[in-house]
Amino acid sequence: MYRIVLSFLLLMVFMSQQIGMAATLSDSSSSKTELANARWLVHKDAVEGTSKLRLVIDTTGPVQINGALSKNDAPQLIINVKGATLGKIDNSVDLDGEIADKVTFNKKDDNTSQIVVNLSSMIEDSDYQIFTLPSGTSSTKTFRVVIDINKPVPHTNYNFTPGLKDKVIVIDPGHGGSDSGAIGPNKTQEKTITLAVAKNVKTLLESAGAKVLMTRQTDVDVYGPNASGVDELGARTRVANNNKADVFVSIHINAFSNPTVGGIATYYYRNSGYGAMLAQNIQDNLDKVEGFQDRGISSAGFYVVKNTQMPAVLTELGFISNPNEEKRLNTPQVQQQLAQGIVQGLDNFFAQAARKGGGSQ
Amino acid sequence: MINIRILLAMTFILLTAFIGGCAENPQTSPMPPTEPAQNEQQQVVVPNGQNTPLSSLAQETMNVTVYSATKDAMYLVAEHQAVPKNTHPAQTAIELLVAGTKNAELVSVMPTGTQLRHISIKNKVAYVDFNDKLVKNNTGGSASEMLLVAAIVNTLTEFHDIEKVQIMVEGKKIDTISGHMDIGEPLSRSEKIIKK
Repeated sequence: MYRIVLSFLLLMVFMSQQIGMAATLSDSSSSKTELANARWLVHKDAVEGTSKLRLVIDTTGPVQINGALSKNDAPQLIINVKGATLGKIDNSVDLDGEIADKVTFNKKDDNTSQIVVNLSSMIEDSDYQIFTLPSGTSSTKTFRVVIDINKPVPHTNYNFTPGLKDKVIVIDPGHGGSDSGAIGPNKTQEKTITLAVAKNVKTLLESAGAKVLMTRQTDVDVYGPNASGVDELGARTRVANNNKADVFVSIHINAFSNPTVGGIATYYYRNSGYGAMLAQNIQDNLDKVEGFQDRGISSAGFYVVKNTQMPAVLTELGFISNPNEEKRLNTPQVQQQLAQGIVQGLDNFFAQAARKGGGSQ
Repeated sequence: MINIRILLAMTFILLTAFIGGCAENPQTSPMPPTEPAQNEQQQVVVPNGQNTPLSSLAQETMNVTVYSATKDAMYLVAEHQAVPKNTHPAQTAIELLVAGTKNAELVSVMPTGTQLRHISIKNKVAYVDFNDKLVKNNTGGSASEMLLVAAIVNTLTEFHDIEKVQIMVEGKKIDTISGHMDIGEPLSRSEKIIKK
C-alpha cells in the first residue's frame, strides 16, 4: 500500500517537473516576445582598469534594437526594442548611481518597447554600446539585449604651452629599497637601472629649464620598507598630485619567463586623450635607441598611471630577463640614450599638446 | 505509523530536491563548447594529477577553457580541454592553469610553485586564493603580471556564473602582485588581451 502511495508521489514530482518544463518552452516559443528581466553589474576590466556598467535585459524571443543619446531634459540613453512588449519586467530598476541612475521600461506602441537609461552625466556616442545576443544552448541563456556604458572620465582642462621650460615634471624610478623589482639572469636589479635612467632624465630636463620632482633619489622605498602595494604606489602618485605636476613619467624595466622576449613598451591609462599622446611621443623617441624592439603603446590600469591627475605614462625600457637587454641596460651609454629618448618625447608632447590647445579631450 | 513517518520524510526529501533543482544552479557549470580556436588542444586531462580510474575516462566530459601567453608576452590564447565531468569545474580550470600549457607555442603564466589554496563563488564573484609563490616567484615584470592577472580572470569568467574575480594570496586580498597592477577589487574579463 505504502509502496503505491510512494510511487504516486514520485510520479507527481516527475510530472510537475515536466509541466514546469513545458510551460517554459511554450513561453519562449510563443510569438509574443516580452521583456522578461533586467540585471546589471559594474565591470572593471582586468587589464585596462576602466569601468563600465553592463545592463542585461532578458527577452523571451529575438528583438531588433536601435538607440540614441538624448539631452532633452536630463542625459538619457533611449533604446527602442522592436518586436517586444513589456512583460513581467519591473517598471524601473535603480542602477549604480555613478554611471547611470535608473532604467525605466515603457511601452512605445503595440509592437515596440522603450528602454530609457537615466545617465549620471552626459557621455559621448563612443562611450556606449548596445547589442543583442541569441539564446544559448544552455538553459540559463535566454535572448538578451545588452547595454554597455563606459564610466565617464572627469573632464580636466589642460592648457599646455610648448617647451620644457618651467614645466613641473615628476619622474618615478620604479621600485626601490626593499623592493628590487625584477632581477636579470646576471643579477641586475630593476631598481638600480630605473634610478640611473631617471637621474639622467632629471639632469637633461633641468638643463632645459624644467622643474623636476623625483619620487625617490636614492635606493629607498618611497612610502616605507615592505609597505603594501597601494601604500607604496600611492606615495608616488601623491608626489605628482600634491605638486600639481604637468606630467608624470614612471620608469620601469620589464621581465617575462621567456628570456628571448625583449623590447620597449609605454603604457597609459585610457582617460583623457593626453595620456596616449604622451605615451606615443615618448615611445616614438625611445624607439630610436638601438638594440630594442618596439612593443608599442597600450592602455593599462597600472596604479601609477590610473591614479595621477595629469597625463601620465609608465614606460618599460626593455626586458631585464633578456640577457642581451640586461647587458645593454647596464651600460651608461644606453642609460643616457634612453633618458634622451624620454626627454625628447616630453618636448615633442608639449609641442603637440600646445598645438591642440585647451579642452578636455 | 512509523512507516507513514518514513514516507512523509521521503516525500519531503523528494520535494526539497525538486525545489532545489528549480533554483539557480549554485555550482559552476561549464560553458557550452565554443568554436575551436587556433592553437587549440583538445585532450583529456586528469586534473591535479589525481588518480582517476580508467573507467571514468568513459564518463561524461566537460569543456574547460584555460588561457596561456603567447611566446612574445603580448597576448593570451584560449585552450579548450575536455576533462572528466565533476562538480567543481572552476577549481579544475584553475588547477589546469596552475599545471600550465603543453603547447610548445605558448607560455604558462603561473609562477613556479604556485598552488591553488581555495576557490569560492559568491554573487557571481569568484574568490580565488593562491599560496604566496604567486607573488614571490613572479618574474617582477609588468608583462608577466598583466598576463597572469588576465589569465586567471579570463579563465574563471568563462563560466556563466562568474562575472568577476578577486585574487587572493594566503587567504587575504592583495593590492598588487609585482607593483604595477591594482588588483585590490574584483576584476572583470579583458577581451583586449586575447589574441584575435
